[in-house]
Amino acid sequence: MNRSVLVALRLALGVLFLWAAITKLPDMNAFAQDVANYRVLPAALVPYVAAAVVGIEMVAGLALLIGVVVKPAAVTATGLLSVFVVFLVQALLRGIDLRCGCFGGDEPASWWTVARDLVMLAAAIVVTTQSGSSKLRAALQE
Amino acid sequence: MATPLQAALLCVLGAALGIAGNRLTPRPAPLGARVLPSAEQPGAICEDPRASVARISVEAAKPLCIACTAVFVDARSAQEYAAGHVTGALHIAPGEPVEPLLASLRAAPTVIVYDRDRQCASANAVAADLLGRGLRDVRVLTGSWPDWLAQGGPGESGTCALCTGAKP
Repeated sequence: MNRSVLVALRLALGVLFLWAAITKLPDMNAFAQDVANYRVLPAALVPYVAAAVVGIEMVAGLALLIGVVVKPAAVTATGLLSVFVVFLVQALLRGIDLRCGCFGGDEPASWWTVARDLVMLAAAIVVTTQSGSSKLRAALQE
Repeated sequence: MATPLQAALLCVLGAALGIAGNRLTPRPAPLGARVLPSAEQPGAICEDPRASVARISVEAAKPLCIACTAVFVDARSAQEYAAGHVTGALHIAPGEPVEPLLASLRAAPTVIVYDRDRQCASANAVAADLLGRGLRDVRVLTGSWPDWLAQGGPGESGTCALCTGAKP
C-alpha cells in the first residue's frame, strides 16, 4: 500500500481518537450515562468503563498521531472500535433509542454510526497489519 | 516486546489515566456509584440537562392534542408508528425528509415531537431539525410514547396519510 496513504490513515485515526476523547471531557457524567444506556454493562461498572475508555482513546490517539508504538496503538484502536460496533449493533437491534456517545453532544446512535465505525475499524486494521512490515514501519513512524 | 502485550499495557495505562483524571474534569463520571440506563431512572424521564429543545409533559400536551392546537410528530420507526401513535400525529424519523410536511407543521402554533424511549434522542434530533428550519415552538414530549399511553393520551393506528416517502 502507498506509504503516504498509510501515514494519512494513521494520522486520521489519531486525530479522530483524540477528538473523541477531548469532546467527552467537559461532561464525563453524561458520557457515563450514554454508556449505561447501551444496557450491556453492570451499573456499578459503568462509570469506571466510561472513564477508562476516554483515557484509552486519548493514549491510543496520541500514540497514532505522534507515531510511537504505532502497531500496539492500532491494535488497541481495532479492539475499541470492534467493541463500539458490537455495542451499537446490539442496541439498534434491541430497538434502544439512545445517543451514541461517540463525540460528546446529542448525536443519536444509528446505522450510519455503525457504518462510520466500520470505516474507522477498516482503517485501524490496515494500519495494524501494514505496520508489521519492516519496509513500512519507518513510514508509519515518520 | 510482543505487540499484544504492548497493546495491553497501552490499555492499562490509558484506563488508569482516564480513571485518575476523571475527577479533574468539570462534570466527572460518578465513580463508585451505580449508573442506570436513563429509562430506568425514576424522575429522569427525558430530562436531559444538555437538551437544547424545550420539553413538555404528557399532562400539558394532552389538552393541546384534544383541542388540536398542536401538531404531534412521531420520531419512531414507520412500523412503530403504524402500530399506534398519538391521534393525528405526523411521522418523521431522524434523517427523513421533512419538506413535504413543513406547511402542515408551520400552520400549527406548537409542534410536539416524541419517540419510543425516555431518553428522547430521536425526538431531540427531529425537533432540532425542525427548529433549524425556522419553526418557532417545537418541544419534546417527556415520557415519550409509553407514558402517553399509560396516561390515557388519545391514540390511533395506521399509516400517515399526509406523509410521503417510503412508508408502509
